[in-house]
Amino acid sequence: MSGEVLAKSVNLLSFVALGSTILLIIRTRLEGQVRAFALQSLVLAVLSALIALYSGSLELLGVAIALAAVKVVIIPRVLNRSIAKIGLSRVAAPYLGTVPALIICAFLTIVAFYVMTPIAESNPLPTADAMPLAFASVLIGFFIMVNRRRAVTQILGFLMLENGIFLLALLATYGVPFIVEMGVFLDVLVAVLIMEVFVYHIKDNFDSIDVGELGKLKE
Amino acid sequence: MILLTLLFVPLLAAGLIAFTRRREMMEVLHTLTAMAVLGAGVTTAVQVWKGEVLTAGDLFRIDALSALMVVIITFLGAFASVYAVGYIRAELDDSHLARVRLFFSLFHLFLFTMLVAVTTDNLGVMWVAIEGTTLATVFLVNLRRSRTSLEAAYKYLILSSVGIALAFIGTALVYYAGAASAGESAVNWSTLRAAAASLNRDVIRVAFVFIIIGYGTKAGLAPMHTWLPDAHSEAPAPISALMSGVLLNVGLYAMLRFKAVVDIALGPEFTAHLLVGIGLLSLLVAAAFLVRQRNYKRMLAYSSVEHIGIICLGLGFGGYWGTFGALFHVVNHALSKSLLFILSGNILLKYHSAEIDDVRGLLRAAPWTGALFVAGILALVGLPPFALFVSEFIIFRAGMESNPWAAAIGVLLLVIIFGGMLASVNRMLYGDPPAALTRGDPLRLWLAPLALNFALLIVLGLALPPPFVAALKQALQVLGV
Repeated sequence: MSGEVLAKSVNLLSFVALGSTILLIIRTRLEGQVRAFALQSLVLAVLSALIALYSGSLELLGVAIALAAVKVVIIPRVLNRSIAKIGLSRVAAPYLGTVPALIICAFLTIVAFYVMTPIAESNPLPTADAMPLAFASVLIGFFIMVNRRRAVTQILGFLMLENGIFLLALLATYGVPFIVEMGVFLDVLVAVLIMEVFVYHIKDNFDSIDVGELGKLKE
Repeated sequence: MILLTLLFVPLLAAGLIAFTRRREMMEVLHTLTAMAVLGAGVTTAVQVWKGEVLTAGDLFRIDALSALMVVIITFLGAFASVYAVGYIRAELDDSHLARVRLFFSLFHLFLFTMLVAVTTDNLGVMWVAIEGTTLATVFLVNLRRSRTSLEAAYKYLILSSVGIALAFIGTALVYYAGAASAGESAVNWSTLRAAAASLNRDVIRVAFVFIIIGYGTKAGLAPMHTWLPDAHSEAPAPISALMSGVLLNVGLYAMLRFKAVVDIALGPEFTAHLLVGIGLLSLLVAAAFLVRQRNYKRMLAYSSVEHIGIICLGLGFGGYWGTFGALFHVVNHALSKSLLFILSGNILLKYHSAEIDDVRGLLRAAPWTGALFVAGILALVGLPPFALFVSEFIIFRAGMESNPWAAAIGVLLLVIIFGGMLASVNRMLYGDPPAALTRGDPLRLWLAPLALNFALLIVLGLALPPPFVAALKQALQVLGV
């Protein structure tokens, strides 16, 4: 595979990854949002595998497999399980509606290009052109966490942000060393399991998973 | 070998306690482990101070800066572990044995993650370990399982995870900058440090901004501090003591590691401006919330924001004395804040309320707790003969030379905080205790370790012992100051 072919497929897949972050904003049902996350993770796994083939890195292939296992299979299952357990209020309620949210996404994407383009231009790797797309995904994930009231959607926003960071490191340097990547997956998995427990706690205590209810601790 | 003991013992203890049935066994395991880890920590540090850098493969590397952190973590870990036994007995009776087990087990997992963070040479592994500290403490914050503690823990988990995710972007960018010349080993701090002069300046500049936002969240710097007053006030007292006294310093330590590399790549002005700015902002936020604070645990938490801000000012003022004062202040703040949080636990056990207005006549109701609390607060606001006076003096003396305006604003804010805190504490001390309250200090004997902290604060305040100065100087050399 030549560098040019790789660069084109990387650009395309990064764009799909960013698209699935935005899909999280458009989808109003929690199951649909989980699917958007699983799709994005699958894209990232394929992308890592492609780059592994191009660069001949066995370690990166291992990362791709671990990523698929953790983020395409395990975490979506955990999230679907908690959605099923909570039962009610499957429709996620944002503070801002879809249209203003999409306008903010467009704005964040511009910011991402502004910040990352200088860094990407000095980077000799064929994958570097897509770095701003990855950073846009980080910023939009951050925005989703602020905008959504539902605990589950906040978790998804966090996961998307995490995926964006993974993508950024992948594009900039073909990923960080294997041991670090594995440690990060472990952290993310444990974080999601803990967050799941908190979703149940919040549900039990407030009879809703609306994090807007959490407002007692004030000065 | 000693490194293996230092890391393996707390991890093993966390596992063992999780499978222990009887409470007495848990308490014994817990205390013995904390003491053993302290022994291992001190042995490690002494070896390093004799001039040896301990390494284990590529992964671990303990220099004088790590050694300083290891001593702070293990010393305060042992310190808090004693009171923790008494406090948990008072808070959770035998019908909550599962939670008692969770507490003791996570206590050591927490120590383990912090120790990994400060002993590893791999900046990625450091990141993983620091995220691990959040994961290990989140259930500890929610130990009481009340609505407010649930809220505090959830906010803590989300905000810290997001903050630290940004630090990962910074780490990845620094790695990318280093990999150009050093390949995969650029994830190691020692490699980056050696190659620092040749790093891409544009990348490093953006990276450090992410680092300071990310690890600044963990260190409790304003404006990323919002989780801190909630988490530190809702956590059980021994954990608050460790979170304020130690965990914030681990966040700071991570920033310091990057600062040492960035300062070579860009020159010291870039980080100095950022640190002075964020330090002053933290002082300002702390001052705003410390005047008329209504909750004494939140008061201590905001005071942590203040002191981390002072440390950042010291680092930003820079030079030999600014940095020396900052590291000295790290030690002093750790000693004083941990003992105050433990005393706040005693006040909470006595009055069953963290509101300042509910605490009346503390000196009569609980004379030991009250007197020690006053002494601790006087140390914290920087009065002599306590060591915080000396370190703050050194920091602002350095500031007068390098950045007089910032130093003057900082001193002004300190005076406001001084007044605010003394006024709040004053309201707790006198008057008539509630009629239903029996006289006497809860857990009086468990407070014994506090004597050691006070003694150290006074010794360090009156005379800087040469071995202590030598240890700080070695840490300064690591930072290239």
